[in-house]
Amino acid sequence: MRAWLRRGSAQCLWARWAARPARRPLSCGGRQLEELFASGGPLRTFLERQAGSGARAEVRRPELVAAAKLLSEKERELRETEHLLRDKNEDLRKLAENEITLYKKEITQLKHQIFLLLVPSEETDENDLILEVTAGVGGQEAMLFTSEIFDMYQQYAAFKRWHFETLEYFPSEIGGLRHASASIGGSEAYKHFKFEGGVHRVQRVPKTERQGRIHTSTMTVAVLPQPTEINLVINPKDLRIDTKRASGAGGQHVNTTDSAVRIVHLPTGVVSECQQERSQLRNREMAMKKLRAKLYSMHLEEEMSKRYNARKIQIGTKGRSEKIRTYNFPQNRVTDHRINKSLHDLETFMQGDYLLDELVQSLKDYADYESLVEIISQKV
Amino acid sequence: MALWGRMLWALFSGPRRRGGTQGWAFSSWQPHPPLAGLSSATELVSYWTGVFEKRGIPEAQESSEYIVAHVLGAKTFQSLKPVLRTYPLTPQQLKCIQELSRRRLQRMPLQYILGEWDFQGLNLKMVPPVFIPRPETEELVEWVLEDVAQRSHAVGAQGGPLILEVGCGSGAISLSLLSKLPQSQVIAVDKEVTAISLTHENAQRLRLQDRIQIIPLDVTLEGSWIHLLPWGFMDLIISNPPYVFHQDMELLAPEILSYEDPAALDGGEEGMDIITQILMLAPQLLKYSGSIFLEVDPRHPELVSSWLQSHPDLYLNLVAVRRDFCGRPRFLHIQRSGP
Repeated sequence: MRAWLRRGSAQCLWARWAARPARRPLSCGGRQLEELFASGGPLRTFLERQAGSGARAEVRRPELVAAAKLLSEKERELRETEHLLRDKNEDLRKLAENEITLYKKEITQLKHQIFLLLVPSEETDENDLILEVTAGVGGQEAMLFTSEIFDMYQQYAAFKRWHFETLEYFPSEIGGLRHASASIGGSEAYKHFKFEGGVHRVQRVPKTERQGRIHTSTMTVAVLPQPTEINLVINPKDLRIDTKRASGAGGQHVNTTDSAVRIVHLPTGVVSECQQERSQLRNREMAMKKLRAKLYSMHLEEEMSKRYNARKIQIGTKGRSEKIRTYNFPQNRVTDHRINKSLHDLETFMQGDYLLDELVQSLKDYADYESLVEIISQKV
Repeated sequence: MALWGRMLWALFSGPRRRGGTQGWAFSSWQPHPPLAGLSSATELVSYWTGVFEKRGIPEAQESSEYIVAHVLGAKTFQSLKPVLRTYPLTPQQLKCIQELSRRRLQRMPLQYILGEWDFQGLNLKMVPPVFIPRPETEELVEWVLEDVAQRSHAVGAQGGPLILEVGCGSGAISLSLLSKLPQSQVIAVDKEVTAISLTHENAQRLRLQDRIQIIPLDVTLEGSWIHLLPWGFMDLIISNPPYVFHQDMELLAPEILSYEDPAALDGGEEGMDIITQILMLAPQLLKYSGSIFLEVDPRHPELVSSWLQSHPDLYLNLVAVRRDFCGRPRFLHIQRSGP
């Protein structure tokens, strides 16, 4: 959770603010965090209410109150030390300068801490996830792009040291990808990946294009949190499991190699298939994983759309139809439309390592900001 | 050329042979000249699918997909990277695909052609005529794992169970249990030398050799169980014994009949020969309240149940029957309940 603090958090925060042109034009330095914590601002009011007896016991958060108290203490000490800067004694002035630097650092850290304490974590943040990629408009070119995006995410999972397991893979004739899905697991995997869901657009001259014209194609990414055993219970009686072995005597009497498995959830009609492995049992496990994720997101969807309706960053079905990002090859640029952020090294970005991570981080920070604003504007 | 191929085919596919030697005997025989113009994995799959279909080879598409994927270093065609599907193959790869496909034309089971197959999460070497594990047996292992988990939960028992497998074949059951139960120990017996050495090899490949004793032993020989006493009493006996009714043997597909060891399949008149042997030796080897897990024919649950009733001196009870993924009663849990 503190990854944020470790890697130039200030920079991220500004990137986030910079991305809100309507609210605030791009500007320099630590002023934005200061602004969030401006005296008399909504956040200060919120913290005061928390500390005061006004807050109901069940919504009071001792950690937050302690941090806020420490913050105002440090701020008072800073103000007092600042007087010393005008002292005649040079040594004392030097000493004061050092102290002030130290206080400022502590204060910034405390503000970050408060920020993090305020941002709520989602029920599913720690969960593993199912990634689904599907080619959209643009024929073979869209399928080629889908394959590149799937590779990018596989590399991103490796970069984050997450477990990546392909569940299904339907290629096109010329080396593209129609549809694929994968199970991704690891520390805070869903928390990072959830912002990738949506329509991704590519602009470039396709390999198949002879006249050198730039085409625009799309592909869709869906990110479904995987439920834990407790999150979702499925009645085995509600499942129909289809295999190629269904007829005949089975067991030692037959030796077939088709290990494909198809599972139908009868009450909802949701279907999940897998033929990725030679072992039928493994295929069944993988199909089951996918089925569970599908049912779980159906279950979460309603609740989620209620909660996040007003937000710019959408997660779940609602976000899936939204065009979230453009990969412009002639301009060597990738732009995320939700935060209006552009990066200018597309090739490196597609390698799925630090540049993608940087963008994910910005999105995460932005989403955190939105939920923070939501919280402090609520009545306590 | 087509005529020439057909003549040779008729010549070699005439009377069925057993033991799987037939697949290796004619390695210089080339039913098809080098395939000019065919170069990508996708093209080869559809070419060989067509050939297999014409020759009436079962699972034509699956077979060609598995062979091409195998030569390109993937387990399934599904898991092959898109770029590898359209990339031109090397002459060596083409030759290799041709050689493996030729064996399939002789009805060799795919698992023997590839020389490996997957069971549970494990990759196992497969060598003819050692029995090829079936997907149903993965469920037998699952059941045992569930049972062990429940038991250790209930008793809080220390250390893993001591397990005896009768008829280990490639080692699939024993090795998957060992890999899932890090505290367990397995005694695996088989009467066939080829099975014993394949289980050894698979245990080494999976680095599980330290917790398994692999013993050549024929349980149908009188008093054979005495050789197992030094290892102590077992918590579990597990087996996928030969259970095909003798009269059903000739109905088996050529893949099975010509290549797999009939001793691993033929269970005698009612498919019960080895099942009853296991049940008779179990009381000498099992701990009190130890369990037997068996994979059987769907007709067996009733037969075994009445056989046990007519042998009360064994103190064995059929406590549960489980169905396989196709809904057939396939697995038995028998428990020892007496002195």
